[in-house]
Amino acid sequence: MKVNQLAWRNLWRNRKRTLITAASVFFAVFFALVMRSFQLGTYEKMYSDVIQSYSGYLQLQNPSYLDEPNLDNGFTVDSVLVSRLEKDPNVEAVVPRIESFALAAAGSRTQGVMVLGVEPESESKALNIRNRIVRYKLTPEALEALKGEDLPSRLGKNFELFAGEAFTEAKDMASILGVGKRDTASLLPVLTRHTAYPGSYLSSGETGYAIIGNGLSDYLGAVPGDTIVLMGQGYHGTSAAGLYVVRGVVSMPNPEIDNRFVCITLDDARWLYAAPEMATSAIIGIRNSEEKELAATQERLREVAGDELAVRNWKEMNALLLNQMEADNKSGAIMIGILYLVIAFGVFGTVLMMMAERRREFGMLISIGMRRGRLAGVVGLEMLLIGLLGVVAGVIASLPVVFMGHARPLRFTGEMARMYEDYGFEPVMPMLLPDTYYLWQVVVVLLILTVAISFSVRKIFKLNVINALRA
Amino acid sequence: MKVVEINEVQKTYHDTEVEVRAVNGVTLSFEKGDFAVIVGPSGSGKTTLLNLIGGLDQPTAGEIIVAGHRLSELKPSELIDFRMEHVGFVFQSYNLIPVLTAAENVGFIMSLQKWPKEKRMARTDELMEAVGLSDRHKSRPSQLSGGQQQRVAVARALAPRPEFILADEPTANLDSKSAETLLDIMEKLNREEEMTFIFSTHDVRVMKRARRVITLEDGKVVSDVRTNHSA
Repeated sequence: MKVNQLAWRNLWRNRKRTLITAASVFFAVFFALVMRSFQLGTYEKMYSDVIQSYSGYLQLQNPSYLDEPNLDNGFTVDSVLVSRLEKDPNVEAVVPRIESFALAAAGSRTQGVMVLGVEPESESKALNIRNRIVRYKLTPEALEALKGEDLPSRLGKNFELFAGEAFTEAKDMASILGVGKRDTASLLPVLTRHTAYPGSYLSSGETGYAIIGNGLSDYLGAVPGDTIVLMGQGYHGTSAAGLYVVRGVVSMPNPEIDNRFVCITLDDARWLYAAPEMATSAIIGIRNSEEKELAATQERLREVAGDELAVRNWKEMNALLLNQMEADNKSGAIMIGILYLVIAFGVFGTVLMMMAERRREFGMLISIGMRRGRLAGVVGLEMLLIGLLGVVAGVIASLPVVFMGHARPLRFTGEMARMYEDYGFEPVMPMLLPDTYYLWQVVVVLLILTVAISFSVRKIFKLNVINALRA
Repeated sequence: MKVVEINEVQKTYHDTEVEVRAVNGVTLSFEKGDFAVIVGPSGSGKTTLLNLIGGLDQPTAGEIIVAGHRLSELKPSELIDFRMEHVGFVFQSYNLIPVLTAAENVGFIMSLQKWPKEKRMARTDELMEAVGLSDRHKSRPSQLSGGQQQRVAVARALAPRPEFILADEPTANLDSKSAETLLDIMEKLNREEEMTFIFSTHDVRVMKRARRVITLEDGKVVSDVRTNHSA
């Protein structure tokens, strides 16, 4: 009789207890993985959104700009320097831009906005604004028209839930409105016909056009074709004012940005702010964004840029967001810690019960010649098998949930969505695909089991055989 | 041939500040093929003496030599190996391993000793037949009666061919018929395999069968009588 055979059979001598203990480990692992996946997926999305739609991975800035981000801390773009930076093997493009503030007005409404001046053609090499142009929108007119169509009733409910929602892709709209794959062919043409939204991206060389965020568009009531007024302060205190025709509307993932976003061409921005040849920053589009490669690229570019200009990475530029996420991450870790603590007590309780119940048996086994180490091996293996049973089941059960949550992120609506938006977050919770965090859950459970096993091993090595036989 | 030699053995317990001398200067020896019982009132030191002989406990004074081994000279891990090689234990409450079948229980010590599978199975079959349970190989202890379980325990103790069997009140939990059957089997094994049996008991049925009755009182041997019962 081998140790593993004996341990396996012992596992099932008290089937209920084994299953209850394994189930407690299972639920802990399952919930910890799902919670962690939500948490890390949300962070990942926020970082990715802010990088892709706003900051980029690396930026060239005036060293003072990080602390005082205003036009006066901009810099004159040196095309020779830009060319030298673009020669780096990991740099795709260096895209200068102007970022400042203004008041935007349309009709009787005014809003403080962030104005971004970009080179429309090269912008897409660093950011992703072009792909965020709204192509479909559930406007009141679109909803009214859809009511007249013969559509499934469940879609009607979703229309109410997502009224005002803007989409960049038809498939996203179908997914969010709950159009199944089977119905896509018949329903999608109807939906796209009624929800099609006008607008396009900026083009180089033309002046007087602006792209605005969907939130801002709703607030100002400005749609493509309407004119908005921008008023503010230019370089070194000059006054800045201009009229811009809305060319398109973009859906920015961060509601805070979406409600205040205006994008014009870099030439228009330089004219508006009286800052010819200037930029507040230059986004450095990179090919490989892995952390190590990013750090190495930043280091190389710093040497090229010299002391006059700073090369900042996205973490330096988004320190506040990172701090918020870090604080949230810690609270999540504490919650998971509490979950595991409860489970640790459960596992420990099982060990105590098992040791008490089988004391005489252990005494008998040692008295007939089973070495204590071998006996400890059997008991340790039993605990390990119970734990692994729970861990493996927890991991397997979590996989479909995590993959589903990644493919179709949880999207909040109503009050919950509003709450998220108030905090400046998009009301979407995607899940992160399995990564090292899966491994950590296994490590934590193994640590709990190690403590439980150590306790049982110690008990076996200290067992008084005569007392045990009398038990 | 002497299997066990006990010389001036003492065992003292310090229990709640009171010194209890459970075994007090016992000198005894057991020969190969003995069928001996140790009797005496509760607290007379029977079980303690059995534990000392089996190497489960160490004497406070004196020495015990079993199969040429001075038990006081063995380390704890060596004592475990010693017990596995030389001593067979039969307990009052059977103490079979509940997750193993009857045959696996019998073969358990042999598997600890790493006997080849075929040899182990042959010995298991032989013993299961000897204890009259050749049709219960695959039964779990919970599917056997008390008497049957104790027979399996005897077969388990005999399996690795130890020097002797120590049986602590082996019939205490059995009805008359089961006790008689068990004793018949033990006597037969004693006779046929020349196996040494040392019992501690209160059971008159066991005493009647014994060929040597040692009486303990207050930890001392008060009589050591050889009877003329034939095995």
